[in-house]
Amino acid sequence: MSIPGLGQLAPTAAPIATAASPASAPTTTQTLKPFWEYRFDVPHGSTLGIKLVSGTAEKDGTELAPSTPYAFTATKSKINTWHGCTLEITAPASGTYDAYTSEPTAEETPMVSYLNLHFKLESLRAAAQRTGSMGPRVLVVGPPNAGKSSLTRTLASWATRMGRQPLVVNTDSREGMLTLPGTLSAAVFATLIDITTDWGSLPSSGASAIPVKLPLAYYYGLPQSDDNPKLFKRLLSRLAVAATSRLAEDVDVKSAGMLIDTGGIPTGTRAAAYYDFLGHIVAEFSVNIIIVLGSERVGSEMQKRFAGQTTTVGDTITVVGLDKSGGVMERDESFMQSIRESAIREYFFGNAKMTLSPFTQQVDFAAVSIWRINEAPAATSADGAGITYDDGETRTDTLEKAEPSMMMQNCVLAVACASVHDAPDTIRDANVMGFVYVADVDEKRHRLRILAPVSARLGDRPLLWGSWPEHMVNLLI
Amino acid sequence: MSSYSESDAVAKDFREALEDIQTIGRPEISNLTIIARENIEHALAISGALVDHIKRAAPHKKLPPLYVLDSIAKNVGTPYTLFFSRKLYQTYMDAYAMVDMPTRRKLEEMLKTWKEPVPGSIDTRPVFSPDVVRPIENALIKVRTTTLQQDQERMRTQQQLYGRGRPAPQGMPYRETPTPPGARPPSQAHSLYHTQQPPIQHSNGISYNQPTQPPPVTYQPQPPTINATSRSTPQPISSSAFQPPHMGGYGLTQLGISIDALNDDIQRLTAAFKAQLAQNPHDLIMQRKFKALMDLQTILQTQNLPQEQLVLVKNQIADLAVNMRAPPAQTSTPVSLPNPVAVAPPPPVAAAAPKVSLDSLFGSGALAALMARNSATPQVPTPQPPAAPVPVRSAPPQRVEPQKATPAPADPTALMNMLRQAGILPPATPATGATPLPSVTPSTNLPFPLPLPGAAKSILPTPPGTIESLTSDIVLKASSLKQFRPQLLPLLFEAQGPQCTQCGRRFPTNEEGKKRKTAHMDWHFRVNQRSNETEKRGLHRSWLVDEMDWINTRETIDKDHVVQSGDADAGTGSLATKTPKTQYIPVPDDPVLAASVCPICQDKFETRWLDDAQEFVWADAVKIGDRIYHASCHREAFRDGGGPPMYTRSTPEPVLGKRKAEIKQDELVSLRGKLKAEAI
Repeated sequence: MSIPGLGQLAPTAAPIATAASPASAPTTTQTLKPFWEYRFDVPHGSTLGIKLVSGTAEKDGTELAPSTPYAFTATKSKINTWHGCTLEITAPASGTYDAYTSEPTAEETPMVSYLNLHFKLESLRAAAQRTGSMGPRVLVVGPPNAGKSSLTRTLASWATRMGRQPLVVNTDSREGMLTLPGTLSAAVFATLIDITTDWGSLPSSGASAIPVKLPLAYYYGLPQSDDNPKLFKRLLSRLAVAATSRLAEDVDVKSAGMLIDTGGIPTGTRAAAYYDFLGHIVAEFSVNIIIVLGSERVGSEMQKRFAGQTTTVGDTITVVGLDKSGGVMERDESFMQSIRESAIREYFFGNAKMTLSPFTQQVDFAAVSIWRINEAPAATSADGAGITYDDGETRTDTLEKAEPSMMMQNCVLAVACASVHDAPDTIRDANVMGFVYVADVDEKRHRLRILAPVSARLGDRPLLWGSWPEHMVNLLI
Repeated sequence: MSSYSESDAVAKDFREALEDIQTIGRPEISNLTIIARENIEHALAISGALVDHIKRAAPHKKLPPLYVLDSIAKNVGTPYTLFFSRKLYQTYMDAYAMVDMPTRRKLEEMLKTWKEPVPGSIDTRPVFSPDVVRPIENALIKVRTTTLQQDQERMRTQQQLYGRGRPAPQGMPYRETPTPPGARPPSQAHSLYHTQQPPIQHSNGISYNQPTQPPPVTYQPQPPTINATSRSTPQPISSSAFQPPHMGGYGLTQLGISIDALNDDIQRLTAAFKAQLAQNPHDLIMQRKFKALMDLQTILQTQNLPQEQLVLVKNQIADLAVNMRAPPAQTSTPVSLPNPVAVAPPPPVAAAAPKVSLDSLFGSGALAALMARNSATPQVPTPQPPAAPVPVRSAPPQRVEPQKATPAPADPTALMNMLRQAGILPPATPATGATPLPSVTPSTNLPFPLPLPGAAKSILPTPPGTIESLTSDIVLKASSLKQFRPQLLPLLFEAQGPQCTQCGRRFPTNEEGKKRKTAHMDWHFRVNQRSNETEKRGLHRSWLVDEMDWINTRETIDKDHVVQSGDADAGTGSLATKTPKTQYIPVPDDPVLAASVCPICQDKFETRWLDDAQEFVWADAVKIGDRIYHASCHREAFRDGGGPPMYTRSTPEPVLGKRKAEIKQDELVSLRGKLKAEAI
């Protein structure tokens, strides 16, 4: 309907385009002043296009390239700007999205605190580089939905932009970092993070336009840290050993230090166990800076427990409380589930940028070795604590040998980087090489149909079967 | 001259009154303002005393006199504002650099009010003209931060030094020397200054020439330089190292520099030079300067110079005037020196500080008036408050020492570093080619080689000091973290150079950055090319590596290219060129094969992520038939052409294998490298 030469006036107010958009995929421009944020919520199935027309803009610390269209789907996030910018927003051709601009001032936005924190860390890194010591080990804690992962990612991106190579550690098994949910992982970020993803993508046999990230992951297989505290701590220790070794071997990583993301601390009586885990993390990773996001309650607890204490390498622990971003959106369980599902899908099938072809194969029950990760909450494990089972070959107190069953259908199993001949403890401690998906269990013929990323026999790799990520409806539909 | 000594007395009183105020009390400030108003005929001296006092005050005592300045500027106005304006930038920035954060905020507030008319006044003009305030604002945007902590300490000690040197409080020339920051630690004391004076002299006197040339040669080209003065030639506007680029504009706005007055000045100076030459007939530098002066005079008399060039000439005269008095110090017998000032006619001057004598040298008329408007060389001619009588002999050292040993020079260094860090300076460099003279001068006079606009090169070698100092005021506390520090922002943006249009990464525009950018663009190109190829054959997710491989992985950032273009040092470099292209095979997907070892050395293969191939590979591996060998092992074993393994070296293979097992992996790699080298 626009008159040639006049065009449509770009709306200056935040466009709320919640209704199904017209077929023309309307494009609007959005002008942000310094410190403003463009917050958007794109559900599964919709794709929102964002292009930086002028100025500078970042998503979680990673700069948008000028005049490059980015497509976001199943994302609740924000684009922020320090200098002001103009964005070109392309609404989904079909589907919905929700977006608005937040217009804080420099005094109001917590981004300023984050930025200062980054520069402070940067100076610590510079000092570490000069003296050859370890850079800052930063732990980010807070209640659920406080923006912990976003802050971790932002700090990582900023560090990367300054030429640093921080080691980012995820200790939240509910969400995966680079790998699938259910894992605890660590990865060095030396290159750009693909802003249309959370953390970037995993290596594949194709060439990726944005460098892939290479994580080290351990499979915990349970959603909550307190589902099996013993296993959780055990894997944290493994991760810490590997991370510390990497720091010791890799000077670039050493000076950049670590950024450790954690799962949200629940309220109520369960919190105590989480504080205990945090204490474990602080000790194992020699954390010297604790960032508490958006909770005075957690902040005071952290102060009480850690402030002024000395780490294992002799630094004093500092606890800092920061405001959470007003833009943090509640991510309800159904949204999180769709995120997990798409993560699994993407692992096997790739994404819009790169289509992957996984392989299905038939495996005899006898050819696989599957280990079940059980819940063992602290309360119940108390009665069985310390007991070594006599059939130790097939069971530890955290791992149990399992026969393939219908229960496994539509489950994701982790492939352990070990041998079936290894002891259960070794299998439990082994890192993850990848995942397979159980498409079908044929109990009559004793055959499993599994989907594997790679077209090769599984060989003697043991499979770990947890309850997280949960059953999928069916990946192969 | 009576008014002169009267000014002297007023200024002295004023300074004493200033020294008495300890707190920021309204009564004191208004009292001083009234004094200033009542003695408006001595505005020059009073403003000088005030500015000087601000400069010398300890950091925590800087605010009250600045408030006095503010109050006088607002309540009395001209001519004080004019006198303040000349050195406002330095006064303000110098104070700003030294005070703590709360005081800075107060200073910022003060600056804001300067842009506006005086409240309640009918005059709608701002307190200070935008031309004066804007440079400060520009600098603040970038430099609103603390100086190096050590600098502060240095300053504090210097401050104490100053305190001891109080007998000669007048006119520490501020920063008229392009003190190379690295060349002379500002902490150097008096004794050192003597030995280091010549270079300073030199750079001072001939700052417009190529500084790399030795003094004897440098001066000669000077007149031609002047003749050829074009807008793009770096010209000797000033030797001030601290001149902010934006101050440059002033030169242009100067009006009516009288050639007669300049001639007058030159004549006076000539007389002074002659007198001095008579005392030191063999002083080469002096002779050269004298010649330069003569040249200047010739130019002035024979050519009709435009105003802006007159400014240059005038500045040169000023420089020469300053330097003329300095050489005695460098003859290394400062104590017995005849004070050059003695040649100047007015007797009282001889007893006063050199600074004052400058005025007298030229007569307090022409040059002082000229200089009053010339902000490009603010320090030199500043009519300083006549000081308390000072022993003449102590004067020269006092006079020159600040050129490199006072906080003032230290301060610009720190500030310059900050500016550089903040990316404010690079913009100044491109100006060299195109902008009018005055703004050129500061950049050419910078005491250190300026990095190209990217500034990142300069960041690279110095990050420890600079990033740490820039962030030294950030405390890991919520309140400190909440303050917006705009000066840090460029570190993530401008200082990192322009963005890659494909992915948004930034690359500095310096040599190193360009190299990296080229490698990066190559990488993009290859990845694009490869992704087109690989898409056809079907892609799949890779397995992740195991713990040990992960720990031994090093992140690759366009790395394969960097290694090629980069610093392949002698040993590995030559080795690399001798060895054939690295042999690798993709890590077999078949787990059985993936678990295999080299049949020759029984070692495992080294798994690596090869960026070039975008997949995990076994480096130095070759697949022959069904078996995978280390390429180097295989080459050595089979080098006579595919026959059965023949151990051409006497070392039996099992021993070799054992040895390998004992040594670390990286040694193993080099061992393999050696084997390869030998094999060729």
